[in-house]
Order: sequence, then C-alpha cells, then structure tokens
Amino acid sequence: MSIRLQLLMVALTTLVLPWAGCQYARELETALRDSQEKSLLASAGTIANALSAQPQRVFRDPDEKASFDPSRGDLYVHPLRGAPLLDGYRDDWGVAADPTPLPTATAYGARVQAGSADRYLYLYIEVDDPHFDAEPSDVHPERDRFDRIDLDLERSDGTREYYFFGTSAPGLIAAQSIVNGGDGRDHAAPEPRIQAFWLQSAAGYHVEVRIPASFVGSRLWIEASDGHGSGTAGVNAVHDPQGGHLFSRTAGLDDLLSTFIRDGIRATVIDGNALKLGVAGNLGEGTPGDTDAAPGSWYRRLMAVDASSFPLFSSPPDRLGGNSVAAALGGQSHAEWVRNAGSEELLLTAAAPLVIDGQTRGAVFLEQAGDQLLSLRDRAVSRLFEFTLLATAAAVIVMFGLATWISLRIARLRDAAETAVSSNGEIRLEMPESTSADEIGALARGFERLLVRLNEHTQYLRTLGGKLSHELRTPLTIVRSSLDNLEAEALSEGQRRYVNRARDGTSRLQSILSALGAAARVEESIRQAEFVNVDLRELLASAVAAYRDGFKEVRFALETPADPCFLRGAPDLLVQLLDKLVENAVDFCPLGGTITVLLERRAGTYVLQVQNDGPPIPPALHGRLFESLFEQRQDRDDKPHFGLGLYIVRLIAEFHGGTAVAANRADGGGAVFTITLPLI
Amino acid sequence: MIAVIGYDSAMKKHIAIVEDEPALRENYAAALGRYGYSVKTYGNRKNAMQAFQSRLPDLAIIDISLEDEAEGGFDLCRDLRALSAELPIIFLTARDSELDAVSGLRLGADDFLTKDVSLPHLAARVAALFRRIDALRRPGDAAEIVRRGALSIDGEKMQTTWNGSPVALSLTEFWIVHALARNPGHVKNRQQLMDAANVVLDDNTITSHIKRVRRKFQQSDPAFDAIQTVYGMGYRWVE
Repeated sequence: MSIRLQLLMVALTTLVLPWAGCQYARELETALRDSQEKSLLASAGTIANALSAQPQRVFRDPDEKASFDPSRGDLYVHPLRGAPLLDGYRDDWGVAADPTPLPTATAYGARVQAGSADRYLYLYIEVDDPHFDAEPSDVHPERDRFDRIDLDLERSDGTREYYFFGTSAPGLIAAQSIVNGGDGRDHAAPEPRIQAFWLQSAAGYHVEVRIPASFVGSRLWIEASDGHGSGTAGVNAVHDPQGGHLFSRTAGLDDLLSTFIRDGIRATVIDGNALKLGVAGNLGEGTPGDTDAAPGSWYRRLMAVDASSFPLFSSPPDRLGGNSVAAALGGQSHAEWVRNAGSEELLLTAAAPLVIDGQTRGAVFLEQAGDQLLSLRDRAVSRLFEFTLLATAAAVIVMFGLATWISLRIARLRDAAETAVSSNGEIRLEMPESTSADEIGALARGFERLLVRLNEHTQYLRTLGGKLSHELRTPLTIVRSSLDNLEAEALSEGQRRYVNRARDGTSRLQSILSALGAAARVEESIRQAEFVNVDLRELLASAVAAYRDGFKEVRFALETPADPCFLRGAPDLLVQLLDKLVENAVDFCPLGGTITVLLERRAGTYVLQVQNDGPPIPPALHGRLFESLFEQRQDRDDKPHFGLGLYIVRLIAEFHGGTAVAANRADGGGAVFTITLPLI
Repeated sequence: MIAVIGYDSAMKKHIAIVEDEPALRENYAAALGRYGYSVKTYGNRKNAMQAFQSRLPDLAIIDISLEDEAEGGFDLCRDLRALSAELPIIFLTARDSELDAVSGLRLGADDFLTKDVSLPHLAARVAALFRRIDALRRPGDAAEIVRRGALSIDGEKMQTTWNGSPVALSLTEFWIVHALARNPGHVKNRQQLMDAANVVLDDNTITSHIKRVRRKFQQSDPAFDAIQTVYGMGYRWVE
C-alpha cells in the first residue's frame, strides 16, 4: 500500500468526528426532549392549578359528576363553528367524529350526533330503515304505526317535555307534541320552534333537528322506532331515567384557556370522562421550524431517533385517550411522546390532573409539536456535520497533499538512486532532496555518502590496472633484460630451452600488462581526438577490404547504403572501433564462416552491425561484455582474453554520442554487435 | 631485423646509463658492454651530473624517474643539453604515456624508448644514433639519399628535409617516414612501420607518431598532406 493510500486511510479516521457529533446531537436531543417534557408538564400543572381555583368556569355544573355512558344514551354535544343548514345532511357541521350508535336490543340500527351553535342544540339522527312508513293524517300517536323518533327533553328546571317526529312526506317538518283533545283521545300538535328535516334515502332516513337551547337542560332521550314494528333503537325517559345525559363544552373556557398558552401548544381541558370541556391554541403547523426540516431530513434519516416505538395518538373531537390522559385522570401528571396518527408527526403530550376539593375532576392536557425540537436539533447537527465534514475534507486534502509530496520526493530519490550508476559505470554523486532537513533529506545524504565511497572504490578499481601494469613493468623488464643477457652467454641446449620458456612466459606477462595499461591510453587518445566529416560508407569499404586480406580464414560480407553516409567523428577511433569488433568476431567465427558488416540509416542514427557465425553469447555475459577487463568467452586458441577490445568499442561509441549493444542472432547461430551513432 | 653492428673498436664509444634500478642498470650495462661500448652507470641525477661535468659521454640513456625525483630524468636531460647540444640522449622509461614522450623529445632527447624494448633492440637504436652522428661528421657523402618531390631523406645522416629546409625527426619518426617514402603509393600497415622503426609500439603509438610527423612537416609547409591514412590498413606516401 502506497504512503499516499496509507495517509488517506489515516485521514479518513477523521470521519469519526461527524459520528461523534451525531452521538452528541443525539444526547443533546434527549436532554432537550427531557427538558421540554418537564417544561410542558410544568405548564400543564400551572394551568391545572389556575383552573382548579375557579371550577365554576371549568364546569357548567361543578357538582355534576355523572359518568359518560353511551349505552344509556349519553351524548356529547360538539361545538359547531356556525349554524348548519337544516337539510338532513351533517356535512356542514364540521365535526370529524362519526355519529354514536344508539343502544338497541334489536337489529334496528340508529346513530345520533349532537352539536350546539348559536343558542340552538342540533341533533342528527340516522336510522337504518329503508322502508318508509308514512305518518297518517290526523295521527293517533299512541295507536298508529309509522316511522317515528321520540324525543324527551328535560328542561333546566327539571320539567320534562315529550315530542315525536314523523311525517307523511320527507322534507322540512316540525316536532309534534301530544295534546289531550276534547274528544277523549290524544292528538298531535306541532311545535314549530323545534324544526327538523326528514331525508329519506335507500339506506334509511336522516333527521336533522334544531332545538332552541332553552328547551333543553342537561338531559335528553332519543328513541327511533319502525312503523313495521321490526324494532327500536335508543332510550326513553321512562325506561332509562338515569340516561340521556348531555355533556358539552363549558362556555368561555376556550377563551380562558387561551390566556394560559403560548404559540405551538394546544391545551385541552377534559372532565373525568376525558370528554373535552375546552380547547385552545393550535400546534402551529407551517411554523418556520418546518422549512429547515427538508434539507435536514437526511441527517434525520441518518441518525433518526426511533419514533416507531412511540404510541400513536389521535385527538377525536369529543374525547381524549392515551396514557397521559389515563394517568392524569388517575391523579398523576404525565408526559409522553406520541406519533400523531395519520401525519406521523412527533407530538409531546403532557397532562396534569385537575383537582378540585381533593378530587380529581378532570385534567389539563397539552400538546406540542416535536418538529420544533427536531428542527433545533437538525440545525445543530447540520452545522456540526458541515463543520466536521469540512474539517475532514481539509484533513484529507492536506494529508493527501502531504503524502503526494512525500511520495514524489521518495520517487525522485528512488529514480535518482536507480540511475546513479549509469550503464557505462559513471557514478553521479548528486542526489535530489539532499538539502532537505527531514528524514528524506537524511536518506538522500546517506545515498550521497554511499555514492561517494562507491565512486572512490570504482576509481580505485579503474586505475588499478594502469597502476599495476606500471609497477610490474620494471621487474618484468629486469627479468627480460636478464634473459637477453643470458642468451648472450654460451648456453647448453637444455639451458637454452629453459631460457626460451622463461621468455615465452615473460612475453605473455607483458601482453597482459600492456592490455591492463591500454585502457588508460585509449581514454587519453579519445581526449585528444578531433572531429572531422567522415564518410562511414567509404571507411567501411576500405576497412573491410583490409580485413579480407588480413583474415583469410573467414569470409566478409559488407552491406551499406547506396549513397555516402557522412558523420562528424574521429576516423581513427572509428576504425579502431571496427578493428576491435572484427577481431572479436573473427575470434569466435568458425573457419570458413561469414562475418557481416552492415550499415544502415535508422531514425536519425547510423546503425553499424558486425555479425558473425559462431556460438551465441551465454546469457550470463549479456550486459557485461562491454565492461573494462571483463574476461571474455573462451575462443578458439584458448588464450585468456581481457575484454579490453569491447570496452574500447564502448568508449569510442559513447564518445560519438552513441551506444554499443551485444545480442545473439535470431537463429541462435551467432552474435550481433550493434553500434548506434547519431547522424550529427 | 637486428643487424650486427660493425663498429670501430679503436674508437670505443662511451655510454652513460642513468637508472635507479640497479638490476636493470647492470643488465643494460652488460648488454651494451657486449656490443663493445664502454658503459658507465649512475643511480641518480646528482652522481651523473658530477661525472658529466668532468667528462661528457658519447651517448646518454636516461630513465625519467630517478629515485625520489619523479621527473629527474627530464631535469638531467635539460642540464645535459646545456652542457652539449649534440650529445645523443635516449629516454628509457617504464612510462609509456604520449605526454611523457612528447615532453622528453621536446627537451631535446633523440629517442624515447619504453622498457619493453629488448636489449638487442636497444643496442640497434644506440648503433643507429651513433651512425647518424658519424654520418653528420662525414660531409659530402651523398649515398642513400631518397628524394620524393619536395622530400629528401639522407639515410646515412638520418636527416630529412622538405623543400630544402630540415625537419627534425626523432629516430622512430625518421624510420617511419623512410619506410613510407621509399615505396610511394604502397600501404604500410602498422606492423610494417614498427618493424621499420625497430620498435615495439602499440597501434595508438604508431598513430600518434604519424600525427607528430605530419605536424612537423606542416610546420615548414602548412599544405603538407603526403602521408595518407588508409583506414583499416595503415598509411601510404602520396606525391
């Protein structure tokens, strides 16, 4: 793994910052939620205390403690926003709740809903009776059978009135009361102050009734019966004297409540039956908190507090439910997070018991949208996210840059180290980065020291041959001159044989020594060489002609371009180069074999090749053939060869700005030495 | 190629060898003594100079580095040349760089031999030098004169002139020019030239001798180009 990647990985660990931020935000949210719960609970308690001091403003009748029992025909009177049109439909009532079924012992279904508006009590009754039984004219209420709804009203003073509804034709009707006629039987008398609209449909009939508030106290009984006698539904004052309670909002309580609460909170006061007595405030949908919610929503998704465990909460128009309400009615304050059924919004609810004279008579229930809290958290978290992501990005960029810089420097150092010793053995002593003060600089300086010592050693080795040959020359001369003198003496045949052997040995020693010293002489003659325009083609032609004379044991082939090939160079040196290549080729060419000298122009260079038949160059020697004093292959005459010839070839080729390369022929039947010389 | 040098023993030539290596010194002395010369040897410059001031030898063979003087031979050559302008001097050294050869010859040495040279070769060179001296002292002898256009070579006096003006060639150079000019147009390879000059030299030294010869001729005639290189073969004289 590269340094760059490693540092990148390290930089990525800064991503722990946003994560830590999330954890922090979560704790923050918990703390906020906790404090919000406490705050809301405190508000609920305060309101409850304030209200309990003035029960007459909370309850219509502070002493009324009846429990709410729909099976007895108890009804909750919904507050209506405006006076509805008397048309048999309750669409204009604006009440979200469904009508309440009337208790029945038969299969006869009927439902009722009550509402109040503008000093009238409205009733809506729907009866599942598809078959319409019309009221006969001059009805005998006790005897005649027809579809009817009986209504018992108890006035505020406790007197009860009886009315019934029936009609010969659906439409706008009036309630009828029973009066004792002079003829000894009861007659029906219309009560025009109680208006109703009878609407007949395929499923049954609806009756929308309007009763002046002054006609009704706190109780009312409704019973629907079928003209066919298939059943009745509802209650009447005779059979259910305890039933028919009306529960309604307390007038003025809404206004009183609204003085206690602030925006974004809805307050509800309920009685002991959890029925609503007053409602004020709204949850503030569409407050500015929502605008941040959309961009922040992904944070919310990323680190959502699991809301699915919160209980669903719904607030029907008449009655509240839930743990908080149950706890408060049990005398305990309670706060709870809930999900609003339908919208899934988070709500904080708090309920405090309303205690009057030591008795829990109801509760104050507060709701607050959780969105505000969320948006607060989202803002905090999103800032946190932005900052930490920015910090992470900056850290990643800086570390990546640093890593790139370091690896670039190391790469530069590596490249320099790889090329410090050139192919021709020259050692470059300068290393990049050696002036840097850091570890890489120290490494570079270490390399430099190494190269200096290597260079000293190489120089020593390079001059060793020359020094050796010089130092050995004098003792060798002593031996040779002594042999010369010895030959002048009168020697026996046996003595002469030994003298001759000694002379052979010294002459071989001498040739080795002159080879050792020759490299220095070649380098000196290269230094003194002068460049002239040379026609390589002509030079090759004359040289190869000379080789044909000189080396009769092999054949020579020459291939050159048709036109002159001019080159700036030192002809003597070039001939010497060719001499060495040809001598080398002849050494390894079998008797009668062919040596091919080839010249061609190729991409701005002259390519000079000397190919010979013979054994291929062993792989171990590749790349080393052109080294100074490298011991070469065994050749025909088994003489020890010091590879000075090819070293000279390389020196001369490089002096001309060219290169020297040895390779084997593609067919494996010989070697190819290629010299590349630039045109200029 | 080693000719037996016939010599007038009545006039025994006196040779001084200045060489710091005793064994070598004695070997050279013994060999030259065998050829009939009277040889005196010296181990350092001081001893040699003292002796030369009382009596000059007929020929001096000097090593370049003498004991602790790396270039004592050059100094000795200079001093000796001050004593006598005509005394033949041969440098004999283990050094073989061209720079040394040029320095030595410029100081007025007549020849420059490396220690690779064999004793018979050394004797031949010595004899050739004496022959040149003797020929110069015998005026009017026109034998063995080779003329090639502007070139005139006196084989007896070992003197070379170009357009009448003398060209100062060392012994080796003289034999190279002599070998080339005797057969104009014929290519002489390096081995042939070495044989002619009676020296054992490597190819590069022949090349630099040829260069020096050309330069010497060009000093008297800048247009000189009578010695032509035949690549791969050698050199030839063109008229």
